[in-house]
Amino acid sequence: MNRKMILLVAAAAALPACSSVGGGDYGFSNYSLVRVQRQRVGDGSLTVAAARPWNRHRSVMFEDIRQVEDWTLNGPYLDGISFVTGLKDGKSLIRQRRTTSQQVPVFRSNMTPPEIAGMIEGLYRVRGGAVDFRTLSLQPRPFLGTNGFQLDYEHLDDDELWRRGRVVGTVVNGQLYLILLDAAKSHYWDAILPDFEAVVASARLSS
Amino acid sequence: MCVRCDMLTRRSLLVGGGAAAAALHTGAAQARVLPQQMVPLVGPGYRPTERDEQGLWKEMDRVEEEIAGTNLLIDNPRIGHYLQDLIGTVGGPAAKDFRIYLLRIPEFNAMMFPTGFAVVFSGLLLRMRNEAQLAGVIAHESGHFLRRHMIRSWRDQKRKTDILAIGAMLAGVGGAGAGVYLGDYVQLAQLGTILTLFQYSRAMEAEADAMGAKLIAETGYPPIEMSNIWEQLIGEENASARYRGKHRHRGSIFDTHPSEGSRMVDLKADAAEITVPGKAYDNHRARYLTTIGPIRQMLLDDQVKLNDPGASQYLIETLAQDGWNGLLRFYEGEVWRLRNRDGDELRAGQSYAAAVAYPDAPADAWRWHGITLMKQGRTVEAKAAFSRYLRMKPDAPDDAWVRQMAG
Repeated sequence: MNRKMILLVAAAAALPACSSVGGGDYGFSNYSLVRVQRQRVGDGSLTVAAARPWNRHRSVMFEDIRQVEDWTLNGPYLDGISFVTGLKDGKSLIRQRRTTSQQVPVFRSNMTPPEIAGMIEGLYRVRGGAVDFRTLSLQPRPFLGTNGFQLDYEHLDDDELWRRGRVVGTVVNGQLYLILLDAAKSHYWDAILPDFEAVVASARLSS
Repeated sequence: MCVRCDMLTRRSLLVGGGAAAAALHTGAAQARVLPQQMVPLVGPGYRPTERDEQGLWKEMDRVEEEIAGTNLLIDNPRIGHYLQDLIGTVGGPAAKDFRIYLLRIPEFNAMMFPTGFAVVFSGLLLRMRNEAQLAGVIAHESGHFLRRHMIRSWRDQKRKTDILAIGAMLAGVGGAGAGVYLGDYVQLAQLGTILTLFQYSRAMEAEADAMGAKLIAETGYPPIEMSNIWEQLIGEENASARYRGKHRHRGSIFDTHPSEGSRMVDLKADAAEITVPGKAYDNHRARYLTTIGPIRQMLLDDQVKLNDPGASQYLIETLAQDGWNGLLRFYEGEVWRLRNRDGDELRAGQSYAAAVAYPDAPADAWRWHGITLMKQGRTVEAKAAFSRYLRMKPDAPDDAWVRQMAG
């Protein structure tokens, strides 16, 4: 999501890739294969089944907190699904220093869906370089057997590209669970939405 | 080029390491430039005659084309004409040649390019308390053009680096990782890199300040507003740093350079010197607020949602010195809600309740007032607030959720 960071990560990955001989699975990579089978995501408290193979990549959008996992089909500039699994009260979706001037708001267990939506908007504005963010809809939606919500939005980023997003989420035992789709508005959003919906429909809390 | 070049240069030094060091100007504080000495060096319809400047213009035409076509432009013809009229008033001899573009970027900045087009960020409009302040910034930028600062600094850079083509310089500076700080927003047209090439010396900034003060005074704006802008900017940065437990300048490289404070002091002296006793000056606050009225909520929204509570609270309180209203009270509440420390929920709720008592309270104030009441268990009042919200905003994107809450 933070595109500067993506470039940095890509550059870091490129060097070891060049030096590897013989290819295959050797060497360092930011990506790993997500197979078509049920699997645990994030901190392991959520399981999902994808309808086709995806690429899991080292967290870029949210940076590496344990409760978050990012997937992409065509690269993070174009599309991606993120899982937030069991984020606790007082934590934010990314790691950030206490002294950073602009901060992504922290999650509170008693947040209502509009407040969670505000937190997500903050993520895009503070860390994603979004200069415009429009909420398209916020509606109730059952998720993980609870009264969850669905947020639809679109945002104009500093690379002058409009992207669109959907979040399905809920709070279970005071912890936040989200599955988030974000994709370039032209082509990629439409192409990937059915996959996202299938992933959401397959989501279960692991016992 | 940039209103905040002094500061920006120092920030970019931190970001870009040593790459920007060559552009920094050292030395002891210098004598104030007197507004009376500031004579424009270009007249109307200026066109370059020397080859290097002609080449620079050609390159800048391409940059302008890109800026004119970006979707970051705020498409509001009324505000566009207003800005064009303003630069046409305070732009001195070149007034009618200038073009001005408003970009949606929530940062305090404005810049002038060598061919006479200016770019203003939306964050600047939010921070100006009246038309005189905006005119002051625009006049300062015009001053850079009228004193030919860009071509002078460009030639200076070229002499130092021995690179002749602007394209090669852009690549070189970009590759070195330096860049003028523009928030994290602008990738557009390599703006940051271009601005790095035209960094002004402190002497040039002093000239542009003096020229700007003279231009606005001549057109009937109180020249003291130029120094008020600096006062507000310094106050905001201090407040932001204090909130996050930082010191703005203390104990860092910043100490060895003159502060914006010295520019503020010089501008105060300028104002005292050029203000004509008995002459009527008007800051045209009402006209300014009426013009930006349709986008003021958007400007506040863009700022407050960056969740920089120190800066946002300072800004809101500064704007409220001209009178509180429902919009400002609502965004005061938003600052607390997003900060979300212990007790902030209560503070936010109080601000929302205060906001909805004003006739100009935005629909969103009613929504958040309702959410606060609901969380406090005051269901009946919450439902009434939600109903009011839906009446004010029948096409509310969250109506499905709110209707469920409103029962």
